[in-house]
Amino acid sequence: MLLNRLSGAFFVSLGLLLYFAVIPAHTEIVDYGWMRPQSIPNACAILLVILGVVQAVFPTGAVSVNLPELFRTSLFVAITISALWAMANFGFLMVVPLFVGVIMLIVGERRVGWLVGGVIILPVVIWLTVVPLLERTLP
Amino acid sequence: MVELPTVLDGLGDALSLTNLMFVIAGVAVGQFIGALPGTGPVMAMAVAIPFTFVLDPLPAIAFLVGVNKGGLFGGAIPAILINTPGTPDAAATALDGHPLAKKGKPVKAMKMALFSSVTGDTFSDIVLITLSAPLAIVALQMGPVEIFALMIFAFSIIAGLIGDSITKALIAVVLGLFFAMIGLDPEHGTPRLYFGYFELFDGLPLTAVAIGMLAVAEIFRRLAKIGKSVLSTIDIPDTQAPEDRRVSRAEYWSCRYVMLRGAVIGTVLGAIPGIGSTAAAFMSYASTKQASKEPESFGKGNIQGVAATESANSAVMGANLIPLLAIGIPGSITAALLISAFKIHGIQPGPLLFEQQGRLIYGLFGAMMMANLMNLLIGQASLRLWAKIISAPESLVFSAALVLCITGVYASTGGMFGVAVMLAFAILGYLMTRFGYSVVIFIIAFFLGNKLELSLSQTLVILDGDPMAIINFPVALALLLLSLFSICWLGYLAPRKARRRNAASDNKLNDEGKSVN
Repeated sequence: MLLNRLSGAFFVSLGLLLYFAVIPAHTEIVDYGWMRPQSIPNACAILLVILGVVQAVFPTGAVSVNLPELFRTSLFVAITISALWAMANFGFLMVVPLFVGVIMLIVGERRVGWLVGGVIILPVVIWLTVVPLLERTLP
Repeated sequence: MVELPTVLDGLGDALSLTNLMFVIAGVAVGQFIGALPGTGPVMAMAVAIPFTFVLDPLPAIAFLVGVNKGGLFGGAIPAILINTPGTPDAAATALDGHPLAKKGKPVKAMKMALFSSVTGDTFSDIVLITLSAPLAIVALQMGPVEIFALMIFAFSIIAGLIGDSITKALIAVVLGLFFAMIGLDPEHGTPRLYFGYFELFDGLPLTAVAIGMLAVAEIFRRLAKIGKSVLSTIDIPDTQAPEDRRVSRAEYWSCRYVMLRGAVIGTVLGAIPGIGSTAAAFMSYASTKQASKEPESFGKGNIQGVAATESANSAVMGANLIPLLAIGIPGSITAALLISAFKIHGIQPGPLLFEQQGRLIYGLFGAMMMANLMNLLIGQASLRLWAKIISAPESLVFSAALVLCITGVYASTGGMFGVAVMLAFAILGYLMTRFGYSVVIFIIAFFLGNKLELSLSQTLVILDGDPMAIINFPVALALLLLSLFSICWLGYLAPRKARRRNAASDNKLNDEGKSVN
């Protein structure tokens, strides 16, 4: 219930932020025509505020937030962001084996055969498919 | 509308050897990925879509249709053998499929799933082929005012039917519309909300958004939930009595009404935007159980239970494409993903497709029918192989899927920017799902956002800025009133009625308990 109310409050804040700060700063203001560039974004921001208030006051629907799962997910997101940064700087073939190996080890994979499959075979197969076969580049 | 030579040319294209090879490859990939526990047709399509941009439109879309059809059947294999449905669609199949497998008839259960899946799918495809062209003709008679009202109506239906909170569903719609506003404004051509990133001038890439929210968010969730326990699978004995490893003609024929009912339920529900295959499978299962002379045998390995669920969940697929092809409104995740495939090839789904790309559409219809046949043949030939791959570790499956999503989006969007967008929307999708906000509604609203803005702009010009002038457009007025009614009915009145009914039955049970005591 509390999380439901909080999610409603979040959308109220988001709507206000969009209406007063983001949309005016990042939309070219045009003052002619029935529809202007800011019309629908502003309408969305106002609707977010109204619906957010409704959700905060009369919370409905299920929430399934599990903190340990959220923590583990954040860890995988952080690893993926680091891997993307590393890929952009050091290249696909250098980073992906390490990336896959780390993920597999974190989730508890210890069988050497499957680890070799993920760390060596998978990146090579993907690289061979995309670069020579599809003739596209990879980072 | 579409001339016969165009139809024949399209069907001819579908029957070409190249196309056939892509359909076969798609079905095999779909069955393979569907059979992996925890994955399903959505993940299979999400991974495959970016790689199809090097193909011509018809082979690309035929390949994806094959992946989807194969994935729908493939999902039944882990449901039957390890009681772990990869997707909610297959959950109903596990109710009778797994007990049947435990009775020593795993092959029979899987074959029944295959036959009923192909039967339901074929029925639904025939309805799609028959209905979509006439519906598209009707849709083409509509002007901007009616199209705007139709989109509002679609949003109201989808918001009312998906999820358990109309407020949350409407927030998802508004959020999707807001993100669709990023990029050039269609009326004045001025850039907006691009935050200095010139890559955003054309808006957020649909492929990156869809794959991030639908596949990568799910991969993160699955990775976070992987346990160390190994799922116990039912072995398929090498020597089995012939009647235990095949579905006889008599058994298939005895299920004809069950499959027909499932196919009709799946087709009707599939044609309505917002109702997915899970609802169809459970509704078909419940109605079959209710109509059966032996309802107590359901849940204990009744083969009719497998036929009912698989025919219904597969029938949803073809019918899902009716609103997409006829009026350009996607009604499900699969349809939303197919849209990103269409867009990669520069094709705008909607009623004009029949006029402008008739050959492609009839090629697609031909490919769908071929995919059904291939699903049957490949499924028959590879059942034992798919039964073996369900022991592949989730650690490898999801790591591979994550790398494939990154690679695919990088290749299709042409750089790391698209991958960053995918990741951002994966995080948003994960949080939305955890807090009960539907990502499917978000994606549909995101896709329709620009169309909605354009049709609203045209509507205001036509009405000369006077909203009351809408009374001169009876169809649009009726659609807007229906939208209001469906929001009130689906969002507030029907749930309140259901709550009262549940409370009344709880009270009745409590009273009975007291009187017994």
